[in-house]
Amino acid sequence: MEKKEQKRHQHKHSGPKADKKNRKKEQGTEPERDERKRNPRAFSVQSAVRMAKTFHRTQDIKTKKHHIPLVDRTPLEPPPVVVVVMGPPKVGKSTLIRCLIKNYTRQKLSDICGPVTIVSGKKRRLTFIECNNDINSMIDLAKVADLVLMLIDASFGFEMETFEFLNICQVHGFPRVMGVLTHLDTFKNNKTLSKTKKRLKHRFWTEVYQGAKLFYLSGMVYGEYQTQEVKNLGRFISVMKFRPLVWRTSHPYVVADRMEDLTDPEDIRLNPKCDRTVSLYGYLRGTFLKNKCQVHIPGVGDFSVADVSFLPDPCPLPEVIKKRALNVKERLLYAPMAGVGGLVYDKDAVYIDMPSGHGSQQQEVRPTTELVQSLIGTQATLDAKMAASKVSLTCLMFSVLIVRKQNPMESREWDERAQRERRRAVFADEDDDDDDDDDGDGEQESDEEEDEEEDDEEDEDEEGVTTLKKHDKTAAETAAPPVKKQKCEVPMEMPAFADSDDELEKSEEDESEEDESEEEEENEENEEMEEGEPAKKSSGPDSGLCSEDDDEDEEEDSDTDEDGDGTVKSKMSSKHPEEENIDTDDAEMEVQNGHNLEDLAQKATEAYLRHQLAAPNLRKLVYGTVAEKEEDDSNDEEELGGLFKVNRPEKSKKVRADAMDCSRFQPDNSHDWDQEEVRSSIRDCFVTGKWEEDKDAATLLKEDEELYGDFEDLETGQVHKAKTGNKDQAEEAPQVKLDDDEVQKNKRLEKKRRLKERFDAQYDDGDATYFDDLKEEMQKQAELNRQEFEDVDDEIRVQYEGFRPGMYVRVEIPALPCEFVTNFDPHYPIILGGLGPSEGNVGYLQMRLKKHRWHNRILKTRDPLILSLGWRRFQTIPLYYIEDHNGRHRLLKYTPEHMHCGATIWGPITPQGTGFLAVQTVGGIKASFRIAATGVVLDLDKSVTIVKKLKLIGYPYKIFKNTSFIQGMFNTVLEVAKFEGASIRTVSGIKGQIKKALRTPPGAFRATFEDRLLMSDIVFLRSWYPASVPQLYNPVTSLLMPVGQKETWAGMRTLGQLKHDLGIRNKPNQDSLYKPVVRQVRHFNPLHIPKELQKALPFKNKPKQMQAKGKTPRDLQRPAVVREPHEKKVAALLDALSSVYAYKNKKARAEQHAKHKEFLKQKEKQEAERQKRMKEERKKTYRAMGQKEKKKLKSSLKGASKDN
Amino acid sequence: RALVAPSLFEGCNCFRQRLVLSTLSGKRVKIRNIRSKDDNPGLRDFEASFIRLLDKVTNGTRIEINQTGTVLFYQPGLLYGGSVEHECNVQRSIGYYLEALLMLAPFMKTPLRAVLKGVTNDPTDPSVDLLKVTAIPLMKKFGIDGDGLEIKVLKRGMAPAGGGEVLFTCPVRRSMKPVHLTEPGKIKRIRGTAFSVRVSPQMANRIVDSARSILNKFIPDIYIYTDHMKGPCFDPTDSNLYFSSLFQGGCVDSTNQSLSLLYMTLGQQDVSKTLLGPLSPYTVEFLRHIRDFFQIMFKIEQQKPGEDEQKGGEKVLMTCVGAGYSNINKTIK
Repeated sequence: MEKKEQKRHQHKHSGPKADKKNRKKEQGTEPERDERKRNPRAFSVQSAVRMAKTFHRTQDIKTKKHHIPLVDRTPLEPPPVVVVVMGPPKVGKSTLIRCLIKNYTRQKLSDICGPVTIVSGKKRRLTFIECNNDINSMIDLAKVADLVLMLIDASFGFEMETFEFLNICQVHGFPRVMGVLTHLDTFKNNKTLSKTKKRLKHRFWTEVYQGAKLFYLSGMVYGEYQTQEVKNLGRFISVMKFRPLVWRTSHPYVVADRMEDLTDPEDIRLNPKCDRTVSLYGYLRGTFLKNKCQVHIPGVGDFSVADVSFLPDPCPLPEVIKKRALNVKERLLYAPMAGVGGLVYDKDAVYIDMPSGHGSQQQEVRPTTELVQSLIGTQATLDAKMAASKVSLTCLMFSVLIVRKQNPMESREWDERAQRERRRAVFADEDDDDDDDDDGDGEQESDEEEDEEEDDEEDEDEEGVTTLKKHDKTAAETAAPPVKKQKCEVPMEMPAFADSDDELEKSEEDESEEDESEEEEENEENEEMEEGEPAKKSSGPDSGLCSEDDDEDEEEDSDTDEDGDGTVKSKMSSKHPEEENIDTDDAEMEVQNGHNLEDLAQKATEAYLRHQLAAPNLRKLVYGTVAEKEEDDSNDEEELGGLFKVNRPEKSKKVRADAMDCSRFQPDNSHDWDQEEVRSSIRDCFVTGKWEEDKDAATLLKEDEELYGDFEDLETGQVHKAKTGNKDQAEEAPQVKLDDDEVQKNKRLEKKRRLKERFDAQYDDGDATYFDDLKEEMQKQAELNRQEFEDVDDEIRVQYEGFRPGMYVRVEIPALPCEFVTNFDPHYPIILGGLGPSEGNVGYLQMRLKKHRWHNRILKTRDPLILSLGWRRFQTIPLYYIEDHNGRHRLLKYTPEHMHCGATIWGPITPQGTGFLAVQTVGGIKASFRIAATGVVLDLDKSVTIVKKLKLIGYPYKIFKNTSFIQGMFNTVLEVAKFEGASIRTVSGIKGQIKKALRTPPGAFRATFEDRLLMSDIVFLRSWYPASVPQLYNPVTSLLMPVGQKETWAGMRTLGQLKHDLGIRNKPNQDSLYKPVVRQVRHFNPLHIPKELQKALPFKNKPKQMQAKGKTPRDLQRPAVVREPHEKKVAALLDALSSVYAYKNKKARAEQHAKHKEFLKQKEKQEAERQKRMKEERKKTYRAMGQKEKKKLKSSLKGASKDN
Repeated sequence: RALVAPSLFEGCNCFRQRLVLSTLSGKRVKIRNIRSKDDNPGLRDFEASFIRLLDKVTNGTRIEINQTGTVLFYQPGLLYGGSVEHECNVQRSIGYYLEALLMLAPFMKTPLRAVLKGVTNDPTDPSVDLLKVTAIPLMKKFGIDGDGLEIKVLKRGMAPAGGGEVLFTCPVRRSMKPVHLTEPGKIKRIRGTAFSVRVSPQMANRIVDSARSILNKFIPDIYIYTDHMKGPCFDPTDSNLYFSSLFQGGCVDSTNQSLSLLYMTLGQQDVSKTLLGPLSPYTVEFLRHIRDFFQIMFKIEQQKPGEDEQKGGEKVLMTCVGAGYSNINKTIK
């Protein structure tokens, strides 16, 4: 970022400020005096109440900072941090990811396709995911993102997507959000640039939080962001801390970075629309994932997992953390869908990029690429073979296809259609490919330098490469390799398989030298791998089994062995058909490798025996459903001392199935409690019995003596030493010789520990709060959680606690709709969200909902709404309600404008407290702000409590005093009978009660009221009618849409939309229409009062006969006055005199006023002087008082300090 | 597509476990071949009564039983709780029903207040008194405490007629606390109840005397209440029973093994440990069912008694990581 060079500060040498400073310098003493000393009154207690208030306030603030302590469940090796790069289109998302990847790993990715995982530091890995401009993707990714890089086009400003995404994040637990401003180079003017930055920053802050990080990427250099800026951004990302979010810490989830279709191709051939079996790969996050649990794939639906297995980490952290920085070898990159390292994982195939050119000439001699060679060499035959024997070849479920190309996958290659076509006609369109690839050559060259760097590391990684290649070879040899093994292997070796030409050359050359000698070894190694690998699978329905048993069965079932055929067969039958398939595959293979069979069998038995020794038998007894031999069982029983008499399920199964259901455990009566020996066997259970070493009163006392035995008698100066220690030693020394030191050491440690404990108890407990205790408890629990299964083998461990977060897992899901595979687009995130117990069920959910204030329309009851709740997105029909004061849930027609209301939906059971958001459509952008409402789940139920107000209206047809007969409210006598005693009311407010039904007319009844009704009255009965919530739960299946149309998913339309689309307009109620108001002119007749009455009325009420006034008669008119000349003179004189007098008066008054003013001024002056004097005096006295008080305070403080 | 096929079981064994676990996990259950080979096929009255009780404490449960009663389909609803009164079938004692309620009670929507009527004590099932003194303290260890938790024997009733009455109240909890019950501790005192119904009150006193004569050899602090007309049968053979249960030992007695294991399973995602005596067949079945319903496996370690210790037989240390279960029925305000 550019920083302006600033001028240094110049001190003032003249002017008022400099004068002030000089003055201060001269006086010197004042400034260093303590504020508290200078003005003690300001710091003394003014008001006890106020002080208490401030104290409470500080205490409140302190406690507010406390959070409920949680058990720390973060895994030791956490999964990669999910960094979602989000922003409107054309803002530079892909560029940023590319730059960041280049920054971290020095590798270039042409296309960001699917998640890209990299090792960013010694302890951190990152997974970058690009979020496209589709609200479905935005919702899904907001649920899994740990960090969101929110790209904002500064030249344009904020776009709605940004705000929508922020709101989505808020609802589903706020991940870290970092804003990144791009397109800053478009600003020509520096001032507008800084202004824009500031404006955007502040807006961003109001949305996220004050002081949220906003990053500026100033400009592009050669189509990339500036290296330094990217580096800075990378640093920010790698030091960022994340807090756990509730939903994610309680649910396991996998962001799939690889997908594979395992369906039998034969089934697909027979029925292209058959359900698919798919395996998805990815890092497990969140919490423990159990095998065979239920998962939700947003955009597809709910599925139960058939099998989970963990694989070696494809992108592992460096093993030793000693070095200061990562070396090049450790900066791994794993992006199976983006085609890094020459391998591209597609839905049902893996593509290997074979760089041609100078590499192609040497390929004939390389044995490691034998498969490739053979395939290339026999192009036509292979084609023919494939056509002919599709079944046998496709049984692999893993067709390795080779595409000869010059450079890695390009973006256009991800055009799904094209890829599929290419796959079908394997080598036919090779030329086309070449043509395509030629365009990319230029780019490739620029990368070569980096490739060379990689070579070194690849050489050292020889092992990994060779193993992979061996596999390829065996695949070529046997033509039917065990499927899963391949799959297990490939991702592990992935990163080692880089795409540079040189690398391949080297490794292959190396091998070519020793290939003959290696061939046999390879075979052996291969077998070993086979042996080791099935353990990782631990597949099949018997997950409870020890995995070794599984292997053993799988390997031994081909040759009928000593383990008892019947049992094995029974087990086989319970397996998946698919698995059997694999087994037969295995068998085939073993037949081919016949000479190895003995070896295998021997190894298997060895493994079995080893396992038998190691594994606890009790576990097998409880969980193992595998049939064991009779002797084994009897052995077990003997070993357990006759304590466990669990009948095996196989034994007399029918009888057991209907056995009595009783928890009471009738203990065996082998012990005769009348005998003394038998009785003494439980003697230590009583307080009177012997205690343990560390709890025995005698030993405790002794220890106390050891601890506190030493003391010095101060009076005599005699020192008493604890002698017990010596004594003990003296006594024990002859007995214990061997590990004496050890014992002593332990004892010392124990003593120390106890001493410390006691010390802690004595001094810490005083101020240990409840909070501290709780925190300590949680910490202990966390430690225990870590330690409990630490030393257990991963195979066993996953059975106990499930797959733990951080593992790279392969999840097999059967019965996925075929569209998931056929319309697969890696640009859309695939998330496997684990569901807790009973979260797979559907029921009624009561939620608190508020229409989003930016959504410009209110929501209507019974209009379908798309909710994002938990992992899911689904369409449902909500009913809005509001809770009345008596707890009644009253149905609302529309959501209130600025208020929360309740909503009930039929949807998936989700724990209370989960947030949700609602949108009206996910297809297209119709609304200006798409998020319609947000809220939280309050309650789950299987029934609804919403009621709707219903007013039944009737009319009186006969009225006696307070009793009326009312008709029109009901139709039958029975209906009335239901409402007998109900209170009714008239519109005018007269209350009443239904008494009894009348026979005729049907539905009429007698009612009494508190007053007499009129015939014109309308009677109504207010009742509450239960509303039913429509049971619509329609998961949004956006991922199943064809490629390119994924954002066009449309569910059920709202009534308004339907009417609009079909052009239906409701006929309005005629009464509701506005018409011009026409008022009749009214004529009022004159009021006629009889003469008699007029006479009796008082005057003011008498009608007045007002008549117009006539002309004043001449004689009544007043004459004008004409003055005499003398009179005129007198009047003029008087006039003049009076005006003189008035002037004089005015003048005198002004004078007087001025004088008084003067006087007042004088007086004020005097007063001020007086005040000044008084103040001086007061000051003096106060100072004296203050000093006195200070003295007092000082003395008291001294006293206090003494006390302390 | 959303719903998974129900879990299939055969036979009436572990009938309660299956239904209780199904209710807690929300998974549907289908039990086939219930006494299909029996002369009297299908569900018995006490099982029907149990289903009715489940229906009372839940909301939205769907139960389908075929004509002969040999096939049961159970789709669990949500646990509702509240005030429930149930006439328990006299074929089994109230303990049979109470055991299941103990497992369900903390996970209701509203605190449960159940009045169970029927037989209070019988030889097949754990008696109400036993559950009262063992299960309640155990539940307190898991964080279910407060005044609401109690079992009260209002009336006693014997086998053929019934007529007993038990009040069980339990507060609801959001989640269970992880426990570490690995130290059984020592016995300081023994308390008991001897009761007699429709015999001379002297009988109860004689029972007490004989029991004391045996127990006194271990510990002097014994007090046994006598309860005429109402009140568990404590006879000399019972004190031997007591010894054998002591011999088996552990922190939790054999009748409550499954209860403690269930609560451990339904805890937060933390490690819980409990020391048990030898696993009863019922518990073993229960462990298998827990694996089926919650995919939780227990680490089972045997602890051999020390050489010079005289504490009875072998113990089993059960360890598991909780399922992270939270009470989805409880309303938030």
